[in-house]
Amino acid sequence: MIDIHRLALPIADVTIKSPTGPAWEFFVLFLVVIIGPPLLEHARLPGIIGLLLGGYVIGPNGLNLIGAGNTTVPALGQVGLLYLMFVAGVELDLALLRVHRRAVLIFGVVTFAIPMLLGSTIGFSMSWGAPAALLLGALLASHTLLVYPTVRKAGLSTHAAVATAVGATVLTDTASLVVLAAVSGSQVVGGSAASIGIQIAFGLIVLVVFCLVILPQLVRLAFRHLGTDRIVRYLLAIASFLAAATLAGSLGIEGIVGAFFAGLGLNRLVPNEGPLMDRIDFFGSAVFVPIFLVSVGMLLQPSVMVQGETLKLAALFIAASVGGKTLAAIISKGALHLTSNEAALMLGLTVPQAAATLAATVIGFNIGLFDQSVVNAVLVLILVSIVTATLIVERVKVRVPVPRHESRGVGTRILVALEDPGQAPIGFALGARIAAPDSGVVRGLLACPPAETRLREPSLAELRKAGYAAGLDTDPALLVNSSLAEGLINVVAAQEPSLVMVGQRSITTAPAFGSAGEAVAAAIPSPVVIVIGEATRIGEVVLIQTEVARAEAQSDKAVDLAGELATRIGGKNVTARQITGSAFVNSLRPGQVCIAPGNSWQVFVASDPPPGAALMIVLDQSLPRIFAETR
Amino acid sequence: MGNGAPARHSGDRTLSRRPPARIACTLLATLLLVACSDRTSSPAAGVFTPGTPGVLTVVTSQIPTKGFWEGTPSHLTGGFEYELARNLAQRFGLGSVRVRIENFNRVVHGQLNGADIALDLITPTSERAQSLSFSVPYLTSPPTVLVRTGTAVPDLATARTLRWGAVRGTTFAGLIDQVIHPDANLRLFRATAGMLTALEERKIDAVLLDMPLAVVTATRSRGRLDAAGQLPSTETIAAALPKNSANQQAVNSAIRAFTADGTINDLLKMWVGSAAADAEKSIPLIQSTR
Repeated sequence: MIDIHRLALPIADVTIKSPTGPAWEFFVLFLVVIIGPPLLEHARLPGIIGLLLGGYVIGPNGLNLIGAGNTTVPALGQVGLLYLMFVAGVELDLALLRVHRRAVLIFGVVTFAIPMLLGSTIGFSMSWGAPAALLLGALLASHTLLVYPTVRKAGLSTHAAVATAVGATVLTDTASLVVLAAVSGSQVVGGSAASIGIQIAFGLIVLVVFCLVILPQLVRLAFRHLGTDRIVRYLLAIASFLAAATLAGSLGIEGIVGAFFAGLGLNRLVPNEGPLMDRIDFFGSAVFVPIFLVSVGMLLQPSVMVQGETLKLAALFIAASVGGKTLAAIISKGALHLTSNEAALMLGLTVPQAAATLAATVIGFNIGLFDQSVVNAVLVLILVSIVTATLIVERVKVRVPVPRHESRGVGTRILVALEDPGQAPIGFALGARIAAPDSGVVRGLLACPPAETRLREPSLAELRKAGYAAGLDTDPALLVNSSLAEGLINVVAAQEPSLVMVGQRSITTAPAFGSAGEAVAAAIPSPVVIVIGEATRIGEVVLIQTEVARAEAQSDKAVDLAGELATRIGGKNVTARQITGSAFVNSLRPGQVCIAPGNSWQVFVASDPPPGAALMIVLDQSLPRIFAETR
Repeated sequence: MGNGAPARHSGDRTLSRRPPARIACTLLATLLLVACSDRTSSPAAGVFTPGTPGVLTVVTSQIPTKGFWEGTPSHLTGGFEYELARNLAQRFGLGSVRVRIENFNRVVHGQLNGADIALDLITPTSERAQSLSFSVPYLTSPPTVLVRTGTAVPDLATARTLRWGAVRGTTFAGLIDQVIHPDANLRLFRATAGMLTALEERKIDAVLLDMPLAVVTATRSRGRLDAAGQLPSTETIAAALPKNSANQQAVNSAIRAFTADGTINDLLKMWVGSAAADAEKSIPLIQSTR
């Protein structure tokens, strides 16, 4: 028999300490990150609210699992804040600024200026000092594209109204952060008004030059020489925004301004659909940004939040922000000739206050401009703005017609399919130049028969290296299929590329027409380019113009595309050449890339380009029929 | 020429648009510059209402305290906490600072002698928070071992063999018992001055002090005392206010502002010495499992 009392005695001596230390703090933090967002999303509220509320629950004003004196969470939260602003800068679609310049400028200016004016007026009317009043205006004028995923899912991402709202975010966030830089700099840097002004202006100029000119060059160089490892590429991105934030701090400007500008600077080097952006998003969403939001939630104080003063502040902030954004949408509706639903969609996209607002508020709090009442009032504003935006977008997204044709650039998403890894350098170099104006992504595929999967792995590494050397953020994959054309057609159906480039070592062994490239072009809606030859560098671009091409009305697409590709690849270094025979290919010099619309019969009989030169034959889906007729 | 006209027209349009944009930018820049010159507290950062109009009343336990309260109670000449009080008064738009003396043990139990605020190297604890409201910290202060020069404290085992002293009511008394477990009984003192005299007279071998105080005491001892090591800790020093004081938000905002604009660091360097600002990096860490 077991004597239960004898067992109980030693157990009574066991002491269990209350949990403390970093392991406990991180466990509690991650518990909130895991549980908070799904709980709120279940109630159809954005996950961000779950993180803020979770922060309150575990913080000093809640269960006090993480006390007021804790330094780990605030320090990590600071890094999270920098990360958040870096991501905000790096994922902005700068191409939209160019495409919808006028609309973006009009809407961007009014949707910043009106809430800024209303917010500052409210601050001054409450006898706030100028720094606090201006910072309030700036934080109300910014917005976060929190409901953009909903709009994208509704198929409206290419709608002009949506593109305008997204493009305007670049302006509003930049302008807000410049005001924040000036205001916080004025509080941190000592001296006369003039000397402070000079210091801030000098700091901003240095920061902009570093982030938008020097940093991208340095990172591009580092990507080429050090970035063959995915981890190194990720760490280079992190180091970039930390360097920019440090420089900003040294110049008396808030670190988040540096992080945001670093994001803008690396915008083209880190395409939104690229693997590096995936990693940045992953770590940001999993660790850094949630910890920042939880650390902000720890400032939440229900006793302060329900005070009359806080609620009054919150009501004023909501009126200025939502009212200002509404007024901006109404003005833009008239100026840009939008329908009511389109204007409402723009309003829904620009009403949410989250990232930039929180960042400015936290900075205002940290430099002693705002007290806890203001922070709690802003948290109420964030909650209300997000709920309002969700309701607006849910209501109008079904009333705005989905654009029929996706008006995206040819360089948005390029697929480079190769059989020979030796063509990777030229394939990726061309892809990189075509993708650059659209900040697009280039994906590499290496054809591989099912039986040779293992044998092709080293070639895949070669492809990756060539991609990085071309300055691309690419993660090539094997295309396992016994037929390149068949495999490629399947991939195209899944990935919907804007351009397919098919590498072909020689035109003499397999003519361009009758090849995998032609078969793919016949079956897919995307334009196809066949790349022949191996150029080691790209110098002059020769654009072929033929009488046949001019005469053939149906072939305009290939001619236009060839022209556009020539401009993208060669810039000003493009020579147009009229040809009469097929011998033109032989006359190419090393470094020359010849671009020919595939409707010219000459290319049908062309020979291989000489070593060091390359030939690009531009096809489109109408070509097989043309050639059937020609033959 | 024909091609030139539209270009000129376009250029004129651009020029005609520039002045309003320039005016707007200049106005914004001027407004920002005006903002630059405004560094006083505003209601957005909380409102401070003193007990006596126009006067910030501060309580502390001992004057002088090297580096923190210099001079005499009737003639204060400076010190980190005195200057911090003066900066607070200036930010709140108060004309003067009045200083009262109160026993430390009474202060940490909420007896502020009618003062608006206590500045006395107070470490916030949950026990003290029952009778006081604390501001955000203005200093981080790892407990630092002060010994006579020549006494080495490389590890906890050596520390255990020393005779320790602490001021009654401070967090250090509990810390010495919990972390160091000295072989000899801990000797308690009523005030820091008496404890330091006992250290110099070899009645005790070591004491724990807040790092800035330990550093300034060692610096001014003419080589007799030495800050020999720091204990791993995230302890901080904060201002104390009467429990549930309505002034807490304003004081918090002020201390955050002074930290951000470098006032705290400047005061620390000026009154406690440059060594204190870098002390956390230069004083050896005594590892413990605490």
